[in-house]
Amino acid sequence: MICAECRELLDAYIDGELPAADAAAVREHIASCAECAREHAALAATSRRIGETLVKYQAPDVLKARIRVALAQPDPLASTAPSGGATSVTTRRLAFGGLGIAIASSILTFAVVRGVAPGRSPTDEIVSSHIRALMPGHLTDVASTNQHNVKPWFNGRVDLSPPVPNLDSIGFTLIGGRLDYVQERAVPVIVYARRQHMIDVYVRPSVGDRKESNGEMTSSARNGYNVIAWQSNGMSLEAVSDLNRPELEQFVKAFNASR
Amino acid sequence: MTPSPNDIDRFERIVLPHLDDAYTLARYLLRDPHEAQDAVQDAALRALRYFETYREGDARAWLLAIVRNCCLTRHKRARAERANISFVDDVDVVYEGRATDARAVEQSERAHLQRALDGLPPEFREVIVLREIQGLSYREISDVVGVPIGTVMSRLARGRRRLASALGYDAQQAG
Repeated sequence: MICAECRELLDAYIDGELPAADAAAVREHIASCAECAREHAALAATSRRIGETLVKYQAPDVLKARIRVALAQPDPLASTAPSGGATSVTTRRLAFGGLGIAIASSILTFAVVRGVAPGRSPTDEIVSSHIRALMPGHLTDVASTNQHNVKPWFNGRVDLSPPVPNLDSIGFTLIGGRLDYVQERAVPVIVYARRQHMIDVYVRPSVGDRKESNGEMTSSARNGYNVIAWQSNGMSLEAVSDLNRPELEQFVKAFNASR
Repeated sequence: MTPSPNDIDRFERIVLPHLDDAYTLARYLLRDPHEAQDAVQDAALRALRYFETYREGDARAWLLAIVRNCCLTRHKRARAERANISFVDDVDVVYEGRATDARAVEQSERAHLQRALDGLPPEFREVIVLREIQGLSYREISDVVGVPIGTVMSRLARGRRRLASALGYDAQQAG
C-alpha cells in the first residue's frame, strides 16, 4: 500500500468501517511508515477527544411533555403548524383538548400536593405544579383566549380576583386559566403561550405587609425553568416558564403595566 | 389524514425513544436550547405526519433526517430575520467563581473544542456530530444527510483534519 492510499482510508479505519482486508493493509502500512503513523495518531486522538469531551444532551422533560401533549390531541396533525404565526391556533387546540380530563386532574393534583413533605418551598411546589400542568390534559380548566371569559370563571372558586391582561398584541397569547393547589390552598393560574412555550402565572394573596416591594421582581431558576416573583396590589404573583429569562421579564413587565 | 390511536401508539414506541438523539443533533446544529426544543417538537409532529413513509428499519436515522431538515428550515428563517446577528449561544458556558482547577481545565477544554466545532462549515459539522458524538455508522449518516457514503467519508475526513489542527495535532490538511 502506498501512502496516498493509506491516507484516504485512515478515517474509515479509525471508524471501524473498512472491510477486514483493507483494515489489515492499513495496519501493516502504519506499522512501517512513520508519516502515516503520525497522521493516524493525530486523527485518532482528535476523534477520541471530541467523543469524550462533547456531551450528548438529554431532551428536557418539558420538551417530552410538550410532544406528549401534542400527541394526546384528538387530531395531533391539525396543530402541526410550526411555531410563529399560527401559535394561537396551536395553543387553543391544545387547551381545548385538555378540557375533558382537567377537572379530574385538579383532584389528582390535590392528592399529590397533599402528600408532599412539609418544608418544601412554595417556589418548588409551583415549579412542580407547572411541570405537571404540561402533562397531557392538565393545562387549563377554562380554555379561552378571551380575558372576559377567563376572569369571571374564577369567581366563587377563589377568594381573590386574578388579573387577566390581554397581551396578544406583544406576542403573549392568553390560552386559559386553571385552578391549582399550592401550599394548602386553591390558587388561580393564568396560562399564556409564547411560541411553543407555556407561561403559568400563579396568583396568591400577599403574606404580611409587603406593599413596599410593589413591582420589584425576584428571579430564580429550578430544573431549567425560570421563575419570576413579584408583588402587586396585595397579591403575590409568580410566573413560571421554560421561556428564556429576558422574554419572561418582558412578559412580567407587560403583565403589570396593562392592568 | 388523521392518525389512528394505533398509529400514535406505534409512533410513541418506535420514534419517541430517540428524542435525546434528536435533541442532541438539534442543539449542535442550532446552538440554542430553545430553538433546539422547538425544532424537535416540529420534527416529532412532522415525523408523525409522514409516519406511513417509515419502513421497518433504522427509526433513529429516519427521525434524525427529519430533525436535520427542521433545523435547516429554522436556521434559514433565523438568518433571514436577523440578517447579521449570529446566534451563538452562551447559555451553556457556565462560569463558576470557585470552580476547581480540574473543573476549570475541563470546561475550558470543552469550550475550546466547542468553538472549533462551531467554526466548521455546517456540512462538516453535522457529519462530525453524527459520527463522533452520536456514533452513527457511515450508512446511517448517509441516510440522515441524504448524500452518498463517499461524500460522507470525504466530509468527515476534511472536518476531522480541521479539528485536528485546531486542537494542535499535527495532521495534514486534506484537500
